[in-house]
Amino acid sequence: MRNARKSVAQLIGAQVLEVVFTSGGSEANNEVLMGVFSAINSGKNKKFQQQERNELVVSSVEHPSVMKASAHLAQIGVVVKKIPVNRDGSIDLEVFAQMLSSKTALVSMMFANNETGHMFPIQKMVKIAHEHGAYFHCDAVQALGKCPVDVKKWDVDFASFSAHKFYALKGTGVLYQKKGVIFEPLIHGGGQERGRRAGTENVLSVAAFGEMAKKYEEIDTRAATMKELRIYLESLLLEQISDIEILGAKGKRLPNTVNALVSGIDGETLLMNLDLEGVSVSTGAACSSGSREPSPVLLAMGFSVAEAQRSLRMSLGWDTSKQELDDFVTILKSVVTRVRKLL
Amino acid sequence: MEQEAENIQNNAKKRVLVAMSGGVDSSVAAALLKEQGYDVVGVTMQVWDYSEDQCDINEGNGTCCSSIDVDDARAVADHLDIPFYVINCEEEFKVNVIDDFVNSYLEGKTPIPCVNCNSFLKFDFLIQKMKELNCDYLATGHYATITTSRTGQASIVTSADDWKDQTYFLFGIQKEIISSLLFPVGTWKKPELRAYAEEKGLPVFNKKDSTGICFVGPSGYAAFVESQVGKDKIRPGQIKLYPSGEVMAEHHGIHNFTYGQRKGLGVSYNEPLYVMKVDGETDTVWLCEENDLYSSELKINNVNLLDEIVDGEVLNTKIRFAHKGADARFEKCEDGFVVKFSQPQRSITPGQAAVFYRDQQLLGGGWIL
Repeated sequence: MRNARKSVAQLIGAQVLEVVFTSGGSEANNEVLMGVFSAINSGKNKKFQQQERNELVVSSVEHPSVMKASAHLAQIGVVVKKIPVNRDGSIDLEVFAQMLSSKTALVSMMFANNETGHMFPIQKMVKIAHEHGAYFHCDAVQALGKCPVDVKKWDVDFASFSAHKFYALKGTGVLYQKKGVIFEPLIHGGGQERGRRAGTENVLSVAAFGEMAKKYEEIDTRAATMKELRIYLESLLLEQISDIEILGAKGKRLPNTVNALVSGIDGETLLMNLDLEGVSVSTGAACSSGSREPSPVLLAMGFSVAEAQRSLRMSLGWDTSKQELDDFVTILKSVVTRVRKLL
Repeated sequence: MEQEAENIQNNAKKRVLVAMSGGVDSSVAAALLKEQGYDVVGVTMQVWDYSEDQCDINEGNGTCCSSIDVDDARAVADHLDIPFYVINCEEEFKVNVIDDFVNSYLEGKTPIPCVNCNSFLKFDFLIQKMKELNCDYLATGHYATITTSRTGQASIVTSADDWKDQTYFLFGIQKEIISSLLFPVGTWKKPELRAYAEEKGLPVFNKKDSTGICFVGPSGYAAFVESQVGKDKIRPGQIKLYPSGEVMAEHHGIHNFTYGQRKGLGVSYNEPLYVMKVDGETDTVWLCEENDLYSSELKINNVNLLDEIVDGEVLNTKIRFAHKGADARFEKCEDGFVVKFSQPQRSITPGQAAVFYRDQQLLGGGWIL
């Protein structure tokens, strides 16, 4: 545990004792959202004691673990403000600044969107939040392995990570808690994680994460390769397939995520066809089988239900090759051409 | 043996989309197709959101909101090692099946939702999916068979198991698609089919046959109808005796009654009484003694023909699924047919279908007015 904590701390740019192991990204997100307001209400947070801080600010495209925790907080009296996003997935920093006040206790914004790859300007947002005396939480689950991660440079108060996004085992996440910021644990019990997260540790999974974390030096070159390939994939898609739109193409995005709207074809149909050809992609967020609910992220970006149902999310990994992308686009093209003829 | 091997080789080039309900029939259909060498793709239509009213954590294996049938279908597909997808058809199902079902009852008819499900979902929506997924055929677990004439015309013919024959529910499909259909279990009898399922280790081999209507729960169809409409749509009315017109009782909605019903009428009389007619215009339920239940003539509209019939032809006709069939003369009229039986038939029921056959061949059907 000690070694793993050390390598993970190094990976994310934290001090060793600022690393809290959890069961995953969702737990870490819940821990922060529930824990910050819990500590305010119980008076444990002395810093906010004489203040009326009862507001949470989130973006409208956060992961469900943040969205649903926010909805729960709203039910128990917290004022939740959601920042709208544009059609390219970006926010307006001025609107963001206007939403914050001396009542804001916590801002929770993702580093990059899990469906579109769009990256928020974290450092600028942190600065604004701190000017209002609020805590800043960054759901950075999508960042690991794809971008340099440095919580100190970002200057965030909390950040969430997930081990399996960094090719380690599922079942482990990390909550970065800046020294001195206060929250109430989500799980009470024994003294594990210095009382911040009770329950027997998932030692095997934590150790695996620790081992993988040692590869932090590779991230820069891996990310550069992925970005090059992503640009290649996008140019191939635009060149080979008519009526295809790449979401948020102009904005800053993760090096590995492409989300495209393929006109005239239901994402579900594309997904099944590609799967039959041995290609794994996703429509919107990880597909919950049998559900045709359009992606809330795309709806929040202003797309219609019909448009949202035509989205196709492609992700690249560390080992994706150019040949695989060529093959993929060839398959996609043949499927799209064939299915469009049936319309 | 050589012929069989050759068939398997030819089939390998053909891709089949098999509609899997999670029941034993469609599971065996998938298993047989796989055995015959086809490239099999399984699909389940998620037709009704079970999460709204009964989110029972014991029900599903995976998430609480997938029904046990979807999980069963997936388990069979895993066992057979075939690709499997769940397609959400809740909207299509609501529009084409549920709404019609509810409205029919409120009009005093007794609907058969399975026909609409076949006509609009299995053999329309899924036919489109079949094409989209580059499949050559669509297969289901129906008890029906398909024959192809020397001229290449495909027809639906009753199945080997008379008890299970489901051709009655298939009359509404478009005849152009028959040649794209496969009914692998149509040549089987149910007990043999179960034995096969067990022998192949299909996880659903001893699952109970589904009876009744899939979306109607244990509280019954009347409660279902009430759950789907506003209170203002449920109108009370009178129960009268035929032919005197004597008022026997009051009822709280005509959707509680079906033609020929004897139980639960809430009246007492010295002879057994049956529902003779449910009048949706006046909300009156007419009761009669048994001999008044019989009539020799009916009219059908929205007729779907799978093959040509001659005006005046006498055809074997079923007026409900469980009816054993009777000879009737078909006379064309403006928007359908007048069907004249040689023997009077009991409780001819509006909303049910009259489905007609020449020998074993399904010729078509229409809705009884």
